[in-house]
Amino acid sequence: MRYLLRRSGFFVLTLWAALTINFLIPRLMPGSPAEAIMARFHGRLSPSALKAITAALGIDTTSSTLTQYFQYIGNTFRLDFGDSVQTFQPVAKTVAAAIPWTLTLVGVTTILAFVLGTGIGAIAAWKRGGKADSILPPLFVVGTGLPYFWVGMMLIILFAEINPWFPVALGIDPGVTTGFNGVFLGNALRHAILPAAAILITSIGGWVLTMRNTMVTTLAEDYIRMARAKGLSSSRIMLDYAARNSILPNLTGFAMSLGFVVSGAVLVEDVFDYPGVGFMLVQAVQNEDFPLMQCLFLLITVAVLVAVLLADIATALLDPRTRSAR
Amino acid sequence: MRRFRKLALAVAGGLAVTVLAACGSGSATSASPGGTLTISNESGGLWTCSFNPFNSAVQFLALGDIYEPLTFVNALKNDQTTPWLATKYAWSNSNKTLTFTIRDGVKWTDGQPMTAADVAFTFNLIKKNPALDLNSVWSVLTSVAQQGNNQVVMNFKSAAVPYFYYIADQVPIVPQHIWSTIKDPVHYADAKPVATGAFQVNPCTPQNITLTANKSYWQPGLPKVAKVQYPAFTSNDPANNYLATGQAQWGSQFIPNIDAFYAKKSPDHHYWFPPTAQVSLFPNESNALLKDQTVRQALAYAVDRNKASSIGEYGYEPAGNQMGVVTPTFESWVTPEAKTAAAAYTYNPDKVASLLEGDGYHKGSDGIFESASGKKLSFKVLNIGDYSDWVASVQTLVQSAKAAGIELIPDNLSSDDYDNKLFNGQFDIAYYAESGGPAPYYEMRQWLYSANSAPIGQSASSNYERYSDPQTDQLLDQYGSTTDPATQKQIIGQLEQVMLTQVPIIPVTESVDWFQYDTTHFTGWPTPQNQYALPSAFQVPDMGQVLLHLQPK
Repeated sequence: MRYLLRRSGFFVLTLWAALTINFLIPRLMPGSPAEAIMARFHGRLSPSALKAITAALGIDTTSSTLTQYFQYIGNTFRLDFGDSVQTFQPVAKTVAAAIPWTLTLVGVTTILAFVLGTGIGAIAAWKRGGKADSILPPLFVVGTGLPYFWVGMMLIILFAEINPWFPVALGIDPGVTTGFNGVFLGNALRHAILPAAAILITSIGGWVLTMRNTMVTTLAEDYIRMARAKGLSSSRIMLDYAARNSILPNLTGFAMSLGFVVSGAVLVEDVFDYPGVGFMLVQAVQNEDFPLMQCLFLLITVAVLVAVLLADIATALLDPRTRSAR
Repeated sequence: MRRFRKLALAVAGGLAVTVLAACGSGSATSASPGGTLTISNESGGLWTCSFNPFNSAVQFLALGDIYEPLTFVNALKNDQTTPWLATKYAWSNSNKTLTFTIRDGVKWTDGQPMTAADVAFTFNLIKKNPALDLNSVWSVLTSVAQQGNNQVVMNFKSAAVPYFYYIADQVPIVPQHIWSTIKDPVHYADAKPVATGAFQVNPCTPQNITLTANKSYWQPGLPKVAKVQYPAFTSNDPANNYLATGQAQWGSQFIPNIDAFYAKKSPDHHYWFPPTAQVSLFPNESNALLKDQTVRQALAYAVDRNKASSIGEYGYEPAGNQMGVVTPTFESWVTPEAKTAAAAYTYNPDKVASLLEGDGYHKGSDGIFESASGKKLSFKVLNIGDYSDWVASVQTLVQSAKAAGIELIPDNLSSDDYDNKLFNGQFDIAYYAESGGPAPYYEMRQWLYSANSAPIGQSASSNYERYSDPQTDQLLDQYGSTTDPATQKQIIGQLEQVMLTQVPIIPVTESVDWFQYDTTHFTGWPTPQNQYALPSAFQVPDMGQVLLHLQPK
């Protein structure tokens, strides 16, 4: 209990620090949204018109930074992030349109990669030196070494251009309307297969390798020998004794990567033109779109913090030693 | 690779269409529209499903196809005008008054008639909300009012003939009965536009916009295209794949190695890149060395434009010329003298040496010229690091200048940093392209008009090199007060001489309008033989003209 309270306190403190940094960083960047707007108008903008635009955008350069800070904190808790400087539309709406795509594709593949990777790692370690162990881990590690965009482009060339089995780009075909019906879901699934395959190929190896290596060490522990001596079944030793202890380092890594799911996968979105928030973030930074930037940064930070907190709780459940630690 | 800056919309010129499509012929043999056209144009983000035609971020979706302007101005055919919502216009009162006659029989998509009152309302709406006045037309206008049944009279502070382009071609006309009830037109999303154009939004999702033909469009028999799909492409490669596999028919972005990747894949795949403006070196006039005209002339002889074009731009963007006029687009504005002089402005290290030696410079031990007091001719070139073609072009300039005895050092920055330094004049030389317009005047005014500039350390609105010459200002003002083409040409001729002798700007390559088209299912595309409109899908209102000219096979 004490452990969890301390973790929660730490969570709140980190959140506040993240909020504050999130407020400060855009303001420390060179240039200003007003200047970015000037660039778009190519010299036909009178100074009074510029003032009108900055006012309309709510870019307040007159009130003190401290006042702006408190307004920002207040608005954040009301989930009011203001209007995008690029589109004049509410930021929350823009992000809400993109985030389900990111969460579904990147979220599902991250979980899948973790489950598959950990499973394969455990089996490889259990049958150490066997066929599975000498083939699978090296194969997946090679995948990790390949650049994502290269894998993506190869998949497009092989399975979308030479063999037109899957679409070359986009999240759904133009003309298919979004909604919970078979046509949409089927179409979206077809579009998700290549990007998901590319993510799996490049990310699964990391999980396999860590799990296998930790488990190999665990298998040499005395309590494993003890379990064998007691005559427990192989599967019980493998899952309850070896895997349960070996998964702890992987779990923290998994929490981190779950948190980063929200930041999207910029490369996936770039190579497959898949909708999502990753590219949105890049655009926001390039256009000095403070409101959009802050909303996205905040989402990422909160997601990572929450995921880490959950991992801490899970660790406490799996490993009694952390619970009693002072 | 370089992404054109989508938001720098106002580039568009009008296109000169011959007759606004069928409006004269009025034949009633209207075959029902057919076919689905897919546009592949990298947009850099998901759609916001906002079609507010006064919002610079989405105007490229809404002006021309959905909302329409008064008159069409063709950038590729010498400012040629074609009536659109106005049937005619006339200048009077020493070019300080402009009168439009508004077309009868045009209906908004909700069935109400479009009238002169709507036009007068639109202009007064953007007066009241300067954020909607994307081209600052109210910096020259004093009043806009309806006159009689079907006329609109505009009064100007002073003669402002070149503003015709911004007023007639770039302002979307909106319905008074809708927009007068909108409290905040700046933030108005306008998800379901009520407009006069040939297409209606039906429906829009963040990933794709579907436009369908307006069945009661005022031009009989048009449009011939039934449906337009406009998917949101965030990056070049997928958009290019969509074109190459024939899934999209209208492309508007850079494709590397286009012949192998696109043109050779089908005899129906074509491309055409008409030049519209010039990517140039902007030597800072406040630099102690560069404010010397002879040094700038030497610099113009020290850069190899052909190499920048062939290596930096894969040959897709032609080399620029020192007279400052985009050719062949504006060929007719070029005087014979300027043409001869510009032809002599080629890469010429001997000429660099003789110019600089005559100006008191000598070659230092490292082969770079230095002044009598030992100041080396070494300059940093401000550039955008993300634009790989610009970076490659400047690299070729560095090599050619070095061989001629001038040192250029690339300074490749992020676009924020770049903009900041460019606007505030904190650079030796900047590599940059203005947006230009439907005649050479527009780009020259952006380059040279001293009122657009600002002191170093303050944001200038253009003229970033801080050039100032009272005679040049006077020439630009004179151009603005005349409608006589002969006088305009004569003034441009004098400005060409300014460019050739004073060298305030050194054009390197010509930026082009990227355009790929597929004739498998549709004909009627703009071509070098039929330049009825700027061909890119992001050009407003030109894309509306292209859609009106296309027909399914």
